[in-house]
Amino acid sequence: MHDLAVGARARLALSWTRVRRTAWNQVALPWGRLRRSTWGRLPPWVRPFLWFVLSLGVLVVPAFDDTWMRMFFLVALYATLGMGLNVVVGLAGLLDLGYVAFFATGAYTVGILGSPESPAIDVQLAWWLILPLAIGVGAIVGVLLGLPVLPLRGDYLAIVTLGFGEIIRILLLNMTDKTNGSSGLFNMPRPSVEYLHDLGLTNRHVVDDVRAFYILIVVAAFVVWFVTARLRDSRVGRAWEAIREDEDVAEGMGINTTKYKLMAFSLGASIGALGGAIYAPFIDTIVPSTFSLLVSINVLALVIIGGMGSTQGVVAGALILIGVPELLQFQETKDFLESFGWLRTVLNAPIDLVNRVTHLGIENLPPSEEWGDRLASYRFIVFGALLVLVMVLRPSGLFPSRRRQLEFEAPPEAERPQSEGIT
Amino acid sequence: MALLSLHGVVAGYGGITAIKGVDLNVEQGEIVTLIGSNGAGKSTTLRAISGLLRPRAGTITFRERSLTRLKPHEIVALGVSHVPEGRGVFSRLSVKDNLLLGGYQRRDGETVADLERVLTLFPRLRERLGQAGGTLSGGEQQMLAIGRALMARPRLLLLDEPSMGLSPILVQTIFATVRQIQQQGATILLVEQNAAMALEVADRAYVLESGVVTLAGSGPELAGNDSVRKAYLGES
Repeated sequence: MHDLAVGARARLALSWTRVRRTAWNQVALPWGRLRRSTWGRLPPWVRPFLWFVLSLGVLVVPAFDDTWMRMFFLVALYATLGMGLNVVVGLAGLLDLGYVAFFATGAYTVGILGSPESPAIDVQLAWWLILPLAIGVGAIVGVLLGLPVLPLRGDYLAIVTLGFGEIIRILLLNMTDKTNGSSGLFNMPRPSVEYLHDLGLTNRHVVDDVRAFYILIVVAAFVVWFVTARLRDSRVGRAWEAIREDEDVAEGMGINTTKYKLMAFSLGASIGALGGAIYAPFIDTIVPSTFSLLVSINVLALVIIGGMGSTQGVVAGALILIGVPELLQFQETKDFLESFGWLRTVLNAPIDLVNRVTHLGIENLPPSEEWGDRLASYRFIVFGALLVLVMVLRPSGLFPSRRRQLEFEAPPEAERPQSEGIT
Repeated sequence: MALLSLHGVVAGYGGITAIKGVDLNVEQGEIVTLIGSNGAGKSTTLRAISGLLRPRAGTITFRERSLTRLKPHEIVALGVSHVPEGRGVFSRLSVKDNLLLGGYQRRDGETVADLERVLTLFPRLRERLGQAGGTLSGGEQQMLAIGRALMARPRLLLLDEPSMGLSPILVQTIFATVRQIQQQGATILLVEQNAAMALEVADRAYVLESGVVTLAGSGPELAGNDSVRKAYLGES
């Protein structure tokens, strides 16, 4: 009797493990079938490329109004930042919680060198001239922040980088003679497209509306994607992965860990700065409070949700984490919710009934015109729930990288080759 | 001139001095073993040689070059490969990636040929190439760690406790492989707690006690030594 119970429990435990191993961890995504058919037969290098075009390029359709384009711009911007952070966290395994520092560096480089309001220097450089400078400054700041944290690992590294993110923001706030402090910098230089204008490709002289900025960020995202994807598959990428897995052993294998860690920091930082340099003219006014901890957290969360180390994942993560909260504020969403006015009548009837019989005093539902606003103010709750859901259903992210898959989804016992003799 | 020689090497961790002036020589083509009890400083000696630990005093020369100031990756480039204690397999990378990382510094384009050589030496790894390193059994992981070190085409292979946690039969297999590696031209410095096995396979041996070398001699010589028999071979 006792044995039976133990057996049953063991079986239950076993079946639970099996459930977790298979169905639970591999909840089929709607495009699963697509992947197996035509998608799977495409050459491997074409797939991420197509993904990119599908997820970002398609959205350039001019049918969208400015609110939507703004959302798409932010999605693409965060996807770019995500790819940058992915180098540091996903590839080299260095948990950086202060990524916003580099984003701010890029934005403020543009502000200080390009804004006529900048109190520090009396020059106004063209945006295209500042861009490489901003990327360079980002890389240098990345190395400078990387040097002191070289010996730190894991949690300790996370705490110190978290501090760096805040230090930069507070510095920007207090270096009033260079940054104007809390009043910030405005009138950013616009990226000139005179050359394209002369070629007759565009009718504008500078990038100054949401649509143009969107195209600019997509181009930048594409370049970043290309650079990081190529690096990931190179010697450098292998060194990063080895460091991520075990720094000591990587060192013993003959990998110069100092060099590659600094490289990861500075590459990640320069991508962050690139994002900042594009963001500055887009938003036109930069103030220190824009560069809060929330930016770092958002970027890190989208990398994790998407699947560490994978580029498609970053794009998907940005769509969910940046796109959804924006979407919840749209007039369209509000209108859509308003059309559910009948639901209020249906739900309020039982509430009234309960209130009449008891003294609970449950509040009636607000009129449906308010639902949109309520949802918009609760968007971070929706967002948090979504985050938990994704992590429970797909612990290695929406699009786990091939190597990450090995880690979380080990083949079931039966599929493993049986060894004879040596075990 | 010996391939590797240590003179008065002192090294330790923080406030603890683990080795207090170690002298030893390894000649080209030999298997030299370092035996001693727990905490005698065997692993520390290897870590000092491969640069994972910077010695506080003394000199380490390999092929007439001083290693004391070099970084681990520079030492690997000179031809020293270290198989760390506990194997240090990259458990989340595939077996193939593990092996390829061993040849990280090689730029001669012969890594593919060497991969084949290692897989011939350890046929079991061939069956496991696509599997994550962490899913391998203890013996297979040890083979992987040794194979990975061989991918660097080392002149000197530092083996730290290859028999640890393995069944007696498997220990035999591993030691047979160590002999095979020597016959293929590598020099081996072997650290072992399993003194009986180590002395059987070694040309020469050193006994390390509380951070200093107390005895040295050929393998059979030490195996016959009374104090060694008492202390390490479990005889009375």
